[in-house]
Amino acid sequence: MKRILALACASALALAACGTKGGGSEETGEGAGGVQAGVGVTDSDITLGVMTDQTGPFKNLSTGITHGNELWVKDVNASGGVCGRDVKLEIVDHGYKADTAKTLYPQIEPKVAGFVQVVGSPIMAALSSDLESDEATVTPASWSSELLGNPYVMVVGTTYDVEMIDGLSYLQEQGKIKDGDTVGHIYIDGEYGANGLRGSRYYAEQHNLNLREVKITSSDTDLTNIVTGFKGAGVKAILLTTTPTQTGSVAAANEALGLNVPILGNNPTFDPLLHDSPAAGALDKLYVVASSVPFSADIPKMKEVAGKYEKAGYSEPPNAGVPYGYAVAEVWGAVLRKACENKDLTRAGIHKALQETTSADTGDLVAKLDFSQPGAPATRQVYVAQPDASVPGGMKYVKPLFESPEAKEYQAPHQGG
Amino acid sequence: METFVQLVVNGLGKGAVFALLALGFVIIFKATEVVNFAHGSLVLFGGYLVVTLRDSIGWAGAAIVGVVGAGLLALVVERLLLSRSKLADPFSLALLTIGVDVIVTEEIVRRLGVSLPFIGDAWDAKPIQVGGITLFRTHLVALVVATVLITLFFLAFRYSNWGIAMRAQAENKEAAALVGIRSGRVTATAWLVAGLLAGVAVLFIATQDFSGAGLSRGTHSIALAAFPAAILGGLDSTAGAVAGGITVGLVDALATHYVSFAFAKSAVFLVMLVVLVVRPSGLFGTRETTRV
Repeated sequence: MKRILALACASALALAACGTKGGGSEETGEGAGGVQAGVGVTDSDITLGVMTDQTGPFKNLSTGITHGNELWVKDVNASGGVCGRDVKLEIVDHGYKADTAKTLYPQIEPKVAGFVQVVGSPIMAALSSDLESDEATVTPASWSSELLGNPYVMVVGTTYDVEMIDGLSYLQEQGKIKDGDTVGHIYIDGEYGANGLRGSRYYAEQHNLNLREVKITSSDTDLTNIVTGFKGAGVKAILLTTTPTQTGSVAAANEALGLNVPILGNNPTFDPLLHDSPAAGALDKLYVVASSVPFSADIPKMKEVAGKYEKAGYSEPPNAGVPYGYAVAEVWGAVLRKACENKDLTRAGIHKALQETTSADTGDLVAKLDFSQPGAPATRQVYVAQPDASVPGGMKYVKPLFESPEAKEYQAPHQGG
Repeated sequence: METFVQLVVNGLGKGAVFALLALGFVIIFKATEVVNFAHGSLVLFGGYLVVTLRDSIGWAGAAIVGVVGAGLLALVVERLLLSRSKLADPFSLALLTIGVDVIVTEEIVRRLGVSLPFIGDAWDAKPIQVGGITLFRTHLVALVVATVLITLFFLAFRYSNWGIAMRAQAENKEAAALVGIRSGRVTATAWLVAGLLAGVAVLFIATQDFSGAGLSRGTHSIALAAFPAAILGGLDSTAGAVAGGITVGLVDALATHYVSFAFAKSAVFLVMLVVLVVRPSGLFGTRETTRV
């Protein structure tokens, strides 16, 4: 028996992969068109990095974002590229694991001018100092306001804390919660969850809500027992800063246990695949807040991107990641063009161009962005959407873009810093 | 009070599935003294067959093929790998099962790609309300199936030739061989039965009611979470597997609410450690006696 226990213990041990950083010294030189070229830029190509999650808990959203990136790359190359160069993507899968991302980073970093996509708060937390010392501009597919302390990070859209504040304000406006109510918040440990929680705590303080906080990890999937506890505590709403799978579990338990309270989720909590899960019938109580449009949005640019998505023949069903991925890449296009005008496609040149880009036209795929205040979210506007299996992307608007008074007053962690 | 009753109901339902999984560990250990770390991959394999076949032959047919398939994979692993190393230390064979586990699991996870299919079609997400309490149908069916299978196993173990042969082999391998018990056949049957149980268990695990997630790497982790159930019940005790499974289900449900969700995960292991300190062979395990 002792040996068996020893074996059990031994099998639980895993070797931690330890990444060592690559050179990072930037080779520059004057290239085609008299433009100074840097890492990831040749006379014919500009390579951008994509560190995505193809196998972890956010694989569907991430795949949508990657397809959005790819569609833009196809479009831009068809119209002659940027600065006379084709745009290329270098894609790696970290599976939402920070240690894997840390190992992959030194391999991909010397090949790219910057990162058009880095999925996940834990990954961004692990790579932030590397990105800063390598001067690599990055648009994370992670909307934590804590990231705004790094000058090389550009968050396209609003942040989780602001989403929560706006969302709670919406629930209150609809009469679904009132001051003094008990509300449960389930959040993933790490920056994603902590940032969502920061928002709900702020709102709870303003409105005297009794907030019951439950911390989980990204790999937990059955949350029935937590919802059972919420029912006992008489919660009037459930807030989620979780994965889509976890959202499904909460929605199913909310209905099965007869609790039937509204569920408010940050933008990554929904995935259209939930419509094919056994929780499909329980999604009517779910409200999702985000600052990029749903796939089914009735705006010209979205219709154009949706048409291209269909034409591209991707096997995955579309989700809100597609317009977001397209919009982010479009912002990158604007930044690279600016850098080209400045005749400087080095990383420093790209970063300078980013700071000069106060607004990029995404055809309203994302709320209007203003990067002029350091440390502050680029927008505080969100829309509220509800699952609807009948539309492409599986979500429909229930409230168009708005900003709540509470969100307007809110001080983000690095604001004014 | 209602919350407490609901938590107990949730815990018992999950405990039934953990008991099925733990029984899989116990049967193989009893027959061979090998801890089968590949149990999680057998669970995944059964589930994968259901996913790939249900569109063509219907869910019920696919479920049967899944159960049988998991049993056959276990049999193949035993025949091809373990039976050829009869003299190997059980410890080395346990390591071999880890190798099998990694290969099968990674291949299935790769094949599943971005899909997370739920496979409890017949009973998933169809709760039944009794008073203020919700009974999850998956839990109910699991409880009934587990009771039937475990009873059948107990009977077979007690009265069938295979059961007697297995008990004899567990008691004393050399003596059993000397009286003509065919060790290979007993061992192979044990693996087959454990595989079948894994195939049954996955029909309850990859559901909204039980794990909240479809077939994925998480399914594999849940299967391995039954390991503490087997240990605390006593690795060589079938009754212990049932007691261990129910204990794990209840501890998890109650600790989640009354302490914290984070604590619930370690609570199961804490209970296991406490049990092992008091009873080193588990609740119902056979005490090892060594002559000095």
